[in-house]
Amino acid sequence: MTVDAISLEVFKNLFIGVAETMGVTLQRASFSPNIRERLDFSCAVFDAAGRMVAQAAHIPVHLGSMPASVEYALRSFERLNQGDVVVLNDPYRGGTHLPDITMVSPVIAGGEVVFYVATRAHHADVGGMSPGSLPLSTELYQEGLIIPPVLLRLSGWMNEGVLHLITANSRNPEERLGDLEAQLAAHRSGEERLLDMLARYGVPPTLAHAEALLAYALRMTEAVIADIPDGTYTCTDALEGDGQREMEIPIRVAVTVQGSRMHVDFAGSAPQVAGNVNAVLAIVRSAAWYCVRLLAAEDVPVNHGCFVPVTVEAPAGSVVNPYFPAAVAVGNTETGQRVVDVVLGALAQALPDKIPAASQGSMNNVTIGGQQRGRAYVYYETIGGGHGASPAGEGLSGRHSHMTNTRNTPVEALEYTFPLRVWQYALRDGSGGEGRERGGDGIVREYEFLSKATLTLNTERRLRRPGGLHGGGPGQPGLNRLLRQGKEVLVGGKYTTTMQPGERLVIKTPGGGGWGRPE
Amino acid sequence: MLVGVDIGGTFTDLVLSDGGQLKIHKLLSTPANPAEAMLLGLAQITPGGLEGLTQVAHGSTVATNAILERRGAKTALLMTAGFRDVLFIGRQNRPQLYALHPQLPPPLIPRSLCYDVPERLDYRGEVLLPLNLAALDAILDDLAAQQVEAVAVCFLYSFINPEHEQQVRARILERGLLPAWQVALSSEVLPEFREYERASTVALEASVRPVMARYIHRLRQALPARCGLRIMKSDGGVMSADSITEHAVQTALSGPAAGVIGAFQVAKLAGYDRVITLDMGGTSTDVALCPGETTFAPEGLIDGLPVRVRLLDIETIGAGGGSLARVDAGGALRVGPESAGALPGPIVYGRGGQHITVSDASAILGRLDADHFLGGSLRLDVDAALRALAALAEKTGLEVIETARGVIEVANASIERAVRRVSIARGHDPRDFTLVAFGGAGPLHACEVAQRLGMARVLVPRHPGVLCALGLLLADVRVEKSLPVLATASRGLVARLRATQAELLAAGRSALRAEAIPDAAMHFRVLLDMRYVGQAYELTIPFEGDVVANFHQAHHAAYGYALEARPVEIVNMRMQATGTMPRPALESRLPVAAAATPAFLGDKPTPEGGTLALYDREKLLPGMHFHGEALVFQLDATTYLPAGWQAHVDGYYNLVLEPT
Repeated sequence: MTVDAISLEVFKNLFIGVAETMGVTLQRASFSPNIRERLDFSCAVFDAAGRMVAQAAHIPVHLGSMPASVEYALRSFERLNQGDVVVLNDPYRGGTHLPDITMVSPVIAGGEVVFYVATRAHHADVGGMSPGSLPLSTELYQEGLIIPPVLLRLSGWMNEGVLHLITANSRNPEERLGDLEAQLAAHRSGEERLLDMLARYGVPPTLAHAEALLAYALRMTEAVIADIPDGTYTCTDALEGDGQREMEIPIRVAVTVQGSRMHVDFAGSAPQVAGNVNAVLAIVRSAAWYCVRLLAAEDVPVNHGCFVPVTVEAPAGSVVNPYFPAAVAVGNTETGQRVVDVVLGALAQALPDKIPAASQGSMNNVTIGGQQRGRAYVYYETIGGGHGASPAGEGLSGRHSHMTNTRNTPVEALEYTFPLRVWQYALRDGSGGEGRERGGDGIVREYEFLSKATLTLNTERRLRRPGGLHGGGPGQPGLNRLLRQGKEVLVGGKYTTTMQPGERLVIKTPGGGGWGRPE
Repeated sequence: MLVGVDIGGTFTDLVLSDGGQLKIHKLLSTPANPAEAMLLGLAQITPGGLEGLTQVAHGSTVATNAILERRGAKTALLMTAGFRDVLFIGRQNRPQLYALHPQLPPPLIPRSLCYDVPERLDYRGEVLLPLNLAALDAILDDLAAQQVEAVAVCFLYSFINPEHEQQVRARILERGLLPAWQVALSSEVLPEFREYERASTVALEASVRPVMARYIHRLRQALPARCGLRIMKSDGGVMSADSITEHAVQTALSGPAAGVIGAFQVAKLAGYDRVITLDMGGTSTDVALCPGETTFAPEGLIDGLPVRVRLLDIETIGAGGGSLARVDAGGALRVGPESAGALPGPIVYGRGGQHITVSDASAILGRLDADHFLGGSLRLDVDAALRALAALAEKTGLEVIETARGVIEVANASIERAVRRVSIARGHDPRDFTLVAFGGAGPLHACEVAQRLGMARVLVPRHPGVLCALGLLLADVRVEKSLPVLATASRGLVARLRATQAELLAAGRSALRAEAIPDAAMHFRVLLDMRYVGQAYELTIPFEGDVVANFHQAHHAAYGYALEARPVEIVNMRMQATGTMPRPALESRLPVAAAATPAFLGDKPTPEGGTLALYDREKLLPGMHFHGEALVFQLDATTYLPAGWQAHVDGYYNLVLEPT
């Protein structure tokens, strides 16, 4: 079977089908609201060289960072055998931040590894200073259990010791166990589907098509970049603080477009900081690739080929490429969003009629943990906000933007499971930036704590507003407020405290920037 | 006399059963007022007048279209204070992951008609804030001023304690604002957790009720008083028109359901009860798995809006006869989801189509025949299609004929993916199933799809074009009631549920009696939705034997592991009541093995160098057999039998196609 325009399309569907099947299994079998309701996970297929062949579209932040996991899994083990599963979460060895636990397993045909399947799921707690494992930390060790690439399953036998080690380090071990099992179930379904495919089409034709699909995505991505005028475009924005103190942490980018290649250089960005906003390079790559993917009008399959024409460089020891063991808890969520802002900001100079104004630029991370009926519980959520407007129309209101697209946990599921009560979940009127096209509005969410709990907020755009474009106004900044002892207390973007029963938290998320001068 | 009526975009089909004799009729639809064609058709098919009609079963797209075109009643949504924006925030995710300018479908209800009502329950249904009647009255004043036609009420935890929702309705009635049925309560429409999906479903229900009621009223007036009228629901069951008005949203996804029921019943009668149905039309293809019975999904989407009603588990993909083929920027041949629609349609129809469609590729390969297409009433302009295909072939770098075959192959591959999703992904091997093909293009593609999946048999029913109307005639009356349980499974709980079961069954029995079903035709099933404590998705298992052990087993079968030490939760108990209808007998005769010579129309060469034998379906009698490569013509469908396949006609005049 040779590769042609027809078989290419057929195999594209087959590979994506494998990743999608894995995703459905993981969602249905999982336990934590974070995976089953919010869908904070990704599934992908890799070839024997560790190049991504297909990914189920779940969360952009995993886009370019999954390949690093496979790379480190392969670097750590000379050979993976039938029934082996590698698990890891170390951000400096293939991970992103510690709650994202990644598994990698081989698919073997004729005694050789022909593919790998990988899953990554955000686990609600992996230990560390505060419940939810997104603490206001100053070194990685404070953020939870560090798992270098190790074998969780060995030739089909569960390595119970590793499993216990992971669950014992979590504040909710039973949920961890269920979610890890669900991840393994997803691996089984992916392995089965690939073996089925190999049996049907044969190994060489299947591999030839995997290769052709990489070339296909490469051509499509090159076509996208070729449509951007050549030149170097720069943009600088900043984070507002690292959880230790409020300060401007600049992120600078120079995007150079030359023909069908793009180089994204973060030289000039701030040195790494003491607090938790450092982002490992895999995340920064994801964000840069995401921006290129946005520009594609066609439905480009996400695989290794998309990455090839886009090179990403960041100075070692900077906030966008830190040295071990710098704290990285929210580099994933907050710094990732800011990287998108600067890359799109730079591209807006090249493509002024295409690029939208800034979106809310934060994921508004809320982590809560405490005791409930004698057991520890942990709850994690992120909150949507306003999207930037574009020449094509107003920005969306109250939705996740850019590097995340997790769903909410229904209030009726949240209150049934956790000692929390939500009093308001509404659009934040008037928070979108003015403009010919208005920016989208943020969200107002108000929680009451029913028992004593630790609250940790990791939010951005509380001071620096999401910018408008072409005369459009900026969105309103976000706002975090506590209601305690009858008083309203405004708190910072990154904040941790102990909440007493009856106290409330109000979060208002940022609006999106407007586009064009208001008429 | 019983009649099934299916109203499609182009044709309205009627199948009449009179003492076991079937009569089929087809006429042009009247989209402006769909009832017109239906009534005209009924008059034409019953020469003795409508008085002899005892039952009309009808598939209605009235609710579906009202939603798609946002032409439902002017509706207000009343939510618990603080949550009026629930329909706008949704699940907080955007529909397109990679889009410079992501967009949402237009809202069903404008934000100005979504209200915060001061009241609040906790998750156990205990009152935290009583319903504030003064605030409610102010809102109702506003509804009156705005001349709202329908009200949807969705309060948090009303599925546990419906009192506040009921108080709202009582107050609306007291003030004479609207009749009771124009107020839809979420605790009645969908007593389940997850506020967004519940609010969306109840909002849809409220907004389509008045539309549905007007439609039914018009039909009722035109039908004799003693003639029953039943409407198809999304779960493939029918319900009397009088009750459907209060379950209007249950018809919203009923479009493809009647065809699945028709295909399943026809195949079952022919002796095949494990079937996958393949309904391929102009713009899309519907695929459903029936492993001895129809299967269900708990939730669907209509134009991006979630509807949580039980529906037949049908996978729909955007590949049909009118789907457009193109070569993308990366050099892959793509088919659909863009479609040439009915107008301009495929190039070969000569109505202004400019782009190659799947039907054009079929015509080029000689699989549609100008002399026999729609009974010869439409000429096919194959030359025009060839010219357009040459341009496409240039981009693929393949020969023209190879490209035409490629278009078919890519369309078949996406159908194959849909079949895999309904079978393999649910733990069924498609090789154990018979593919039942219908719809205008289904029989043309079925054998090649079956071949891709290793399926050993394709069945093309005698009347593939009116299978939906037939399905309406064959559909059972279905009533489902569920009780939220939400408690950890224990011996005590199971004992309590056994007691409650009697209540549910009694409710089911009286609902079926109201539908005029005799006791002997009633069937009941009681099921439990169960999951491990902490999971969000349930597995549904029969309420029999040791339900906890059965759940562990079902979980192991579905996901490859079971956590036997972990507590199990029972989320809902549901009762399914079915009233089976007297099945009209389909015409049959004993097959007598014979060559198909009397139906043979001649040979024609294919552009690929083969020879197609042509047969007239009308003249094929039970027992006749022939080999591929062949085409079988009938008024509303063409069947393609590839080389290496054989066909025979069974006792019910179905075509049974198998690899040799």
